[in-house]
Amino acid sequence: MSVGHVARALEEAKIATVIVAVKSFEARMRMMSLPRVLLTPQLMGRPIGGPFDEKLQVKIIKAAIQLLETADRNGIVQDYH
Amino acid sequence: MEKGNTPESFEEFIKSFFYGRRSDLSFKFLSDLAPEDASIFIQDLFKDIIDCLDEGDFSRIKQRVLAGQVKRYKNQKNFQYDDGPFHFLTKPLSSVKFSLLTSSGHFLKGCDPSPLGVENMTQEEAERRIFDFLKQEPELSEIPFDSKPEDIMVRHGGYDIRAASKDPNVSFPYQRMTGLKDQGLFQSLTSNAYSFVGACSQKRLIKKTLPGWVDRFVSLGVDAVLLVPA
Repeated sequence: MSVGHVARALEEAKIATVIVAVKSFEARMRMMSLPRVLLTPQLMGRPIGGPFDEKLQVKIIKAAIQLLETADRNGIVQDYH
Repeated sequence: MEKGNTPESFEEFIKSFFYGRRSDLSFKFLSDLAPEDASIFIQDLFKDIIDCLDEGDFSRIKQRVLAGQVKRYKNQKNFQYDDGPFHFLTKPLSSVKFSLLTSSGHFLKGCDPSPLGVENMTQEEAERRIFDFLKQEPELSEIPFDSKPEDIMVRHGGYDIRAASKDPNVSFPYQRMTGLKDQGLFQSLTSNAYSFVGACSQKRLIKKTLPGWVDRFVSLGVDAVLLVPA
């Protein structure tokens, strides 16, 4: 929830944002009408991937940055597969 | 298990995982389940453990726990908005200055924000005082992107920090962002990444804290921010 408020404030100030969150937070993210959200199938506390799984962590961040580039409207919530 | 002379009920047992005497933030969702559903979850988890040990593949356990965690947050009702601000990324990535901000509760060794006025607060105390945190204005910790992982600490009473303690990048991916910048995926990063404890007063965050944070990012010339809730 906190990060959702941060995203909304930064977007108001013309700073683009992308959120990477665990799937558990999907309802929270959708209800806050956030600009760009990437949901990962990770356990809570590990949204970017498990400890030392550098390969997956990089893939997830690249997917988030791609979403940042391609989103053309508010409210895009995408699953990472 | 007994509490004094009174046998502990199964309902008390499952509720104890939510900031009770068996506090385990990966399994706090047990407290939201009906006793019958909780008993089915535990029984299925036991079955999964044996199957996974036989098969050498633990993904089924992860899926079982994940499904429980997803179920817990399905009924979010606060801060519902019909629409929100949206700013296009107006530059190519090769010209973009990024920053990183997470609500994972990371901070630099020697720069402990001392929440609630307590120096060197333990994770156990943070969990015990979670409802005090929820009344507080959050504090932003600055962590240089060139910090060593062993100099990065984490404390957060709202989630299981075990993975984040082993490798900050699981929720504070500062090394991954640095690596992608070095590969030329985008132009630059701010000198510092940022983190705070997301379990805080939402009203104070919105009204008091955020304007200052936004001014800081604007003054740094940031084009885009990767945000990570923990």
